[in-house]
Order: sequence, then C-alpha cells, then structure tokens
Amino acid sequence: MSRPLPTPADLVVFALAAVLLAGLHVLAWRQAGAGPVVTARVETPFGTRYLPLDRPGTYRVRGALGESVLEVRGGAVRFVDSPCRAKVCVRAGWVREAGALAACLPNGVVVTLTGPGGAYDAINF
Amino acid sequence: MSPPSDATLPGMSGATPGTTLLRPEREDLQVAALAALAVALHVLETALPSPVPGMKPGLANVVTVLALVRFGWRTAAWVGALRVLVGSLLLGTFLSPTFILSAAGATGALVVLGLAARLVGIAPRGRGAGQHDGPGRGLSPLGLSLAAALAHMGAQLGVAWLLFVPHPAFLYLAAPLMTAAAAFGTLSGIIAWRILELDATEPA
Repeated sequence: MSRPLPTPADLVVFALAAVLLAGLHVLAWRQAGAGPVVTARVETPFGTRYLPLDRPGTYRVRGALGESVLEVRGGAVRFVDSPCRAKVCVRAGWVREAGALAACLPNGVVVTLTGPGGAYDAINF
Repeated sequence: MSPPSDATLPGMSGATPGTTLLRPEREDLQVAALAALAVALHVLETALPSPVPGMKPGLANVVTVLALVRFGWRTAAWVGALRVLVGSLLLGTFLSPTFILSAAGATGALVVLGLAARLVGIAPRGRGAGQHDGPGRGLSPLGLSLAAALAHMGAQLGVAWLLFVPHPAFLYLAAPLMTAAAAFGTLSGIIAWRILELDATEPA
C-alpha cells in the first residue's frame, strides 16, 4: 500500500484551508480580547450621552438646574456634585452593577449602567 | 402497483398489457448502493457522542467523494440528496432545523465539489497514479474531501447564522468547528484515497 500523496492542486486547497482557519481563529481571538464593555448612559434634559467605564475621568453634564459632576474610575461611576438640595445622587455613591442607576431628579440627570450580565435588569429605590 | 386493466394502452405490447415495467438502470443501482452506504454511516454517526454540538466525523463525505470520482457529479448529487432525505426520515428530523442544516451542508459540499471538478479537474488517485491524466493533475480525493468538508461546515454555519443565531459569539463556535471539519475532511480524504486504491488493484 502506498501512501496517499497530495497533488499540487491538493496542496493549494490545503494552503487555502490553512489561511481560512488561521483567519477564523484570529478573528475569534480578537473578539474574545475585547470583552464586554459597560457604559454609563447619562440622560439629561438636553439629551443622552454615553460614558465608557474603561476611561477614568471627571465629566460635567448640564441639567435643569446647572452642572452635575460625574466621576468615572475603576469601572464605576458616581455623582461628585450636583446643584440640588438633598444630594441623594451624591449619597448613592459608586454605581458599578449593570442595570444599576444613580439619579439627580431635581437636575434631571439619570445615570444608568448598560452592559451584558448583571444581577438586575434595573434597580429602583 | 397499478391494478390489472383490460384496456391496452396504445403503443404498448407485451405479456402484461397496461403495465409499465420500470427496469432499474445501471446508474440507478449505483446510486442506490452508494446512498444506502451513506445513509448507514450518517445514522451510525449520530450515535457517537460529540464534545461540541455539530461536531461529527462526517464519514458520509467519503461516499460522496467516491461517487464523484468514480461515477461523476450527477451520481454524487443523487447520493448526497438521498442521504439527507432518507437519513432525516430514519432519525425523525425531516424538515426540522437539523434537516435544514444537513441539507445546507450537503448542498454546499456538492456545489464546491462540482466547481472543483469542473474548474480544476480530478486526479483519481493522487500523484503518480493517473497514467491518463499525467502525474497528478487536478484534485485527488485528499483535496476534494477537505474542500467538501469545509464547504459543508461553512454552509451549515452560514445558514445557522442567518436563520437561528445571528449573534457575534457565533465566531467562537465557528473557529473550532471549521478546524474539526478540516481534520475530519482530511481523514475522509485518506479513507477515500485508500478505497480507490484497493478498487484499482482488484482484478476486474
């Protein structure tokens, strides 16, 4: 019994298959590296903005009364300051669960975390 | 199963008037035998446990490739179509999603085999074996089987994506499944090559 020897055309098919498989694996690998990105949806009376939680920083958003100050750090977001009286939003502290939210109702600013997973679809108080 | 009739149809003559005798031709018998073999492999394989849904050796691929090399694309297409139909009837998956995927895979494989046979040509037993075709011009069962296996899996994944799960995570399934298809396609190719070699060395 002789060993099966590929023809030149077979080798071309093998090479194309190898390229195809390598490409698929690279694509799958790249997609796996990206991971799920959680963003904070910031709703204001003047429109909705999205803040990616993988970029730390301080953000100022305009509301009905004035500027609310948001801080993003360590995959979480919080109200640092808001021009309201009760400061419920500031006391809510860090928001880090997908579906969780912090809101300054007097200023009309609502921050909700959007992203896959999370223990809750939404949290209300 | 026509009932006996007194009336003789015009143009018919013979011992049984009004009855048409269907005589299976040589090609019909070839198709029937190969399809039976393919169906048997197809059904047996479903009994094998599989680590990933959709991963199976696909040994019926061997039969399709053999049919193509020995008898041409028409026979291969008949064998493939009958395998999908009869296999699904035996397993109770006729017209189910499984059947749709199976049919898509078989169609993909047959289209690619047809294109390969027409555009590149077939070298029945690889390099050095084809006295008539010159040394290994065209695709041997190795290349044909690999191409067919990848086309089969590719078509299945494509249809599954379009009809059932259009989700980005699909890529995680596609990469290992296509890799398995390549491995099993190569294995099927070696088996087909060996069978053709045995066939050629046997006294006619």
